[in-house]
Amino acid sequence: MSFFGFDATLPKDRGHSTNAPGFGQTPDAFAGLGGAGGGAGDDDAIDFEDTYDGLGDQLDETDDAFNDDTFGGGPASQQKVGKDFDFAGQTSQISNTLQEEQMLFQARQPPPQQQKPHVPQAPKPARTGYESYHDPNYIPQLEARADIWGLKPKQPAPTRQYENQAPPHAAPARKMMSLEEVEAMMRSQSFSDGPAAPPVQPMQYHAQQLLTPTQQQQLQQGQPQPQAQYAPQILQRPQQQPSQAGAPPASRQQQVHAELPGHAVQPQAPQHPTILQRQRPQSNDHVPPPQRHAPPQAPVQRPPSQPRQILQNPNRLSGHGQPMAQSGQPAQPAQPAQSGPRGHALGHARGPSFPGMVITHPEQLLNLSEEQRAAFLEEDAKRAKRNHKIALLSKDNGLMTPQDKNFITRIQLQQLMSAQGSLEGNGSEAALAEDFYYQVFTQIRGAPRQSPHQPASQFAQTYLFQTNSRYGPRRQGRGGDNHMQRMEQQVQRAVEAAKAKPKGKQLVIEGSLGKIAFSNAKTPRPLLNIKRPETGDKHPKHHKSSVADRKETLRNVESVYMTLMHMEDHERSLPPPINEESSPEAIQAHMEWRTKIEALHKSLWQNIKIMEPINPHSPTPHPFISILSHAKGKKVIPRLFRHIDEQERITVVTMIVVHLDNLSVVSHAIASPDEPLTPAMREEVELFSQTVMPPLFAHISESPLNIIIGLLGLILDRTNLHVVARSKIGMSLLTILISRAELLKQSAPEIVAADWEQWTELYNRLFETVEPVLPLIFPGTANDTDDMYVWQFLAAMGVGASPEQQQRLVIGVKDRVMETVAVSKALPAEMAGARLANVNLFMRAIGLDVELLG
Amino acid sequence: MEEKEDTHAEPLDLVRLCIDEIVIIKLRGDRELKGRLHAYDSHCNLVLGDVEETIYVAEEEDEDEDEPPSVKTIKKQSEMLFVRGDSVVLIAPFAGTTH
Repeated sequence: MSFFGFDATLPKDRGHSTNAPGFGQTPDAFAGLGGAGGGAGDDDAIDFEDTYDGLGDQLDETDDAFNDDTFGGGPASQQKVGKDFDFAGQTSQISNTLQEEQMLFQARQPPPQQQKPHVPQAPKPARTGYESYHDPNYIPQLEARADIWGLKPKQPAPTRQYENQAPPHAAPARKMMSLEEVEAMMRSQSFSDGPAAPPVQPMQYHAQQLLTPTQQQQLQQGQPQPQAQYAPQILQRPQQQPSQAGAPPASRQQQVHAELPGHAVQPQAPQHPTILQRQRPQSNDHVPPPQRHAPPQAPVQRPPSQPRQILQNPNRLSGHGQPMAQSGQPAQPAQPAQSGPRGHALGHARGPSFPGMVITHPEQLLNLSEEQRAAFLEEDAKRAKRNHKIALLSKDNGLMTPQDKNFITRIQLQQLMSAQGSLEGNGSEAALAEDFYYQVFTQIRGAPRQSPHQPASQFAQTYLFQTNSRYGPRRQGRGGDNHMQRMEQQVQRAVEAAKAKPKGKQLVIEGSLGKIAFSNAKTPRPLLNIKRPETGDKHPKHHKSSVADRKETLRNVESVYMTLMHMEDHERSLPPPINEESSPEAIQAHMEWRTKIEALHKSLWQNIKIMEPINPHSPTPHPFISILSHAKGKKVIPRLFRHIDEQERITVVTMIVVHLDNLSVVSHAIASPDEPLTPAMREEVELFSQTVMPPLFAHISESPLNIIIGLLGLILDRTNLHVVARSKIGMSLLTILISRAELLKQSAPEIVAADWEQWTELYNRLFETVEPVLPLIFPGTANDTDDMYVWQFLAAMGVGASPEQQQRLVIGVKDRVMETVAVSKALPAEMAGARLANVNLFMRAIGLDVELLG
Repeated sequence: MEEKEDTHAEPLDLVRLCIDEIVIIKLRGDRELKGRLHAYDSHCNLVLGDVEETIYVAEEEDEDEDEPPSVKTIKKQSEMLFVRGDSVVLIAPFAGTTH
């Protein structure tokens, strides 16, 4: 607070606009302009403290302890205090007495009155300056004040003179209830509430109780009224005090002096209100005029708070004074009684604009020398000037909305950009449109200059600052988005102009060996520059395709597994079986389940690739057969069979049979005594026989003869039987087919003769084809144990063979039989028995026995 | 390689294709594994069956610095291996034997 009139102006303080209501506000660009336009020298640069009335600091909570005394319930006033007081009415009743007393006192005390001539004269110069900017909002308060006390008719002449000046301001609007109205209202309320005493009686009671002993004494003596009236006046409406202050202060002071001469502090105490309001204590008696007498005074006090109020909430200004007046009204009259002058002063500290620290000030200042007072006066004049300036500046505050400010900023940026653009041209607009954030980011981050002649990124700075403050205005101004957008576009273009990228992707600085590569988000700077060899290694197409096929097959397998897992998972959620009594929901669920499982089934059938067209001349095997070449593809077959219907099973069996010699387990599994199978292939064959063969076997062993005939016919027609017969898988399959047919022949001989003829024909073809390779069908030497399937095949062939064919069979495998029997003799009994049992399978099929050989 | 619709949306789907196939795994520390891939997860933790592990050891030859050190290989067989994924460098299908 520069209460003492210090010119606390610092350079940085000038930076902060006095127009700005608070710290958070962005600096007002026009603060400096306004200061210059005001014509004031820099001596009066406005401090923030001057614009801040410090009301909040002055709230004196400590004296709330006296509230009880004031409002009842305290020790001082045991009786209940009603709300039906009527100060104004009471005062008006004794107004005559008041006036008389005042006149009397004036007559008695000439010296103070002599000073009065100063009073009207001095304020005038200052007043003329203030009136021009006096805010109309302030006037209602003055007016309300004026008639609160009903003093107008009873004021002494000097005061009246002032009042003649005041009304012009006061006339326009009356927003506040006068005290009379308030009291009248309260009284009417209390009357309606309950049994009420006559209006006058409580008033008298109050008046007596509220007054200080001194005042009561004065009342008794017949002269108290001015004092009693004066104190509440001041306290309640500090600003108003000037209107009554013309004569009373001096006379009152004298009064007090006379009555309480022994009291040291008292002389000044009544003066406090005046002093404090003005914030200029030293002007007490000797140089009272300008500050004390009033209309000018109000502005002087006001400016600190008024601009701020206007800026923050113009509507609040009128309402601001009212609560203060009302709250001060009941409390303060009691305080002089309780705490004497000091309390009186403290009470004042609650007023609108009294800094608490001032209280002690007047006492000190009274003792100051003349020059000091003069200095203070000068300071006061300065402050008045400053306030004037503040008022001048603040009168236009709030004219510009945030949108307006944005607009101005935008225009400025535009001009800035156009200046810049003319320098550099705007070549890279497209690039910036592509990766705006990258560009801005690099600019803000101060990325390495991309070209040596690139200017400093002043636009980046601009953009940076705009970014920081950009959400404040945007949030406030709902309609401001458009401006903000346009401004951002401006900024964008500005950044882009500053970018001014060089044309090429590389820059070679003259005389240097290196190159500088430029990068953006789309084409990052290449750190390595490797030339790809022109002669890309052309893989042989065959190899590539095989790899691709392999991958494709693996994918097919995976998709089949996925579908299978979905199906199996879906089967677990099979809804309970439905019947005719089932609820529609259950039926619905069942229908949905069926729909889903059918879709999955279809998908599965598609994924297994079994319906792909068969191309016998294709270099690559059929997709389904490729699947079977993988272990997991083999393993999928049993699971697949569970989910497909009969027709599809036939399809699967047919497909396998047709491509029998294409199966890797057939074509790559032709073993011979010289060239046994690799362990991997043996494993594969084993896996196939464990996974794929059982479902095939199960299916074939239930198939009717025509199916068997068809399958065998396909094998004979479409496959290389020599290959098939020399592989374990092929031979096993043949065995199954033949034995099934033989079984059918024995169990149901009555079946159509034509079928049997067809079968016999096929069997003969098979026999003719296989007979040449009979010696080769054994995978190993006689020492190898894994030849049971061969004996099984021979047995199956022997069963269905004619006697002549049986003879040829025996001839074909006779050597093998003899070798095996010979080997078995050298073997332990157990193994020998197994070997001989295998042989016997065949021997018994043709009506012989190994025993016969021995 | 042409894309199939739902089969490999992520790189590990390629590993999925190698499930139950013979794969060659290259590990940190100059080791290689060859075996049937039974399982994997997103960390490339692997379960392999019938694994042949090959460890390459560079033999110091003090007398001749110029010659590159000869490499000795140590092979180990394992019926089943769990391979922690953080040591896996490479997973490749082993296409040697099948075709």
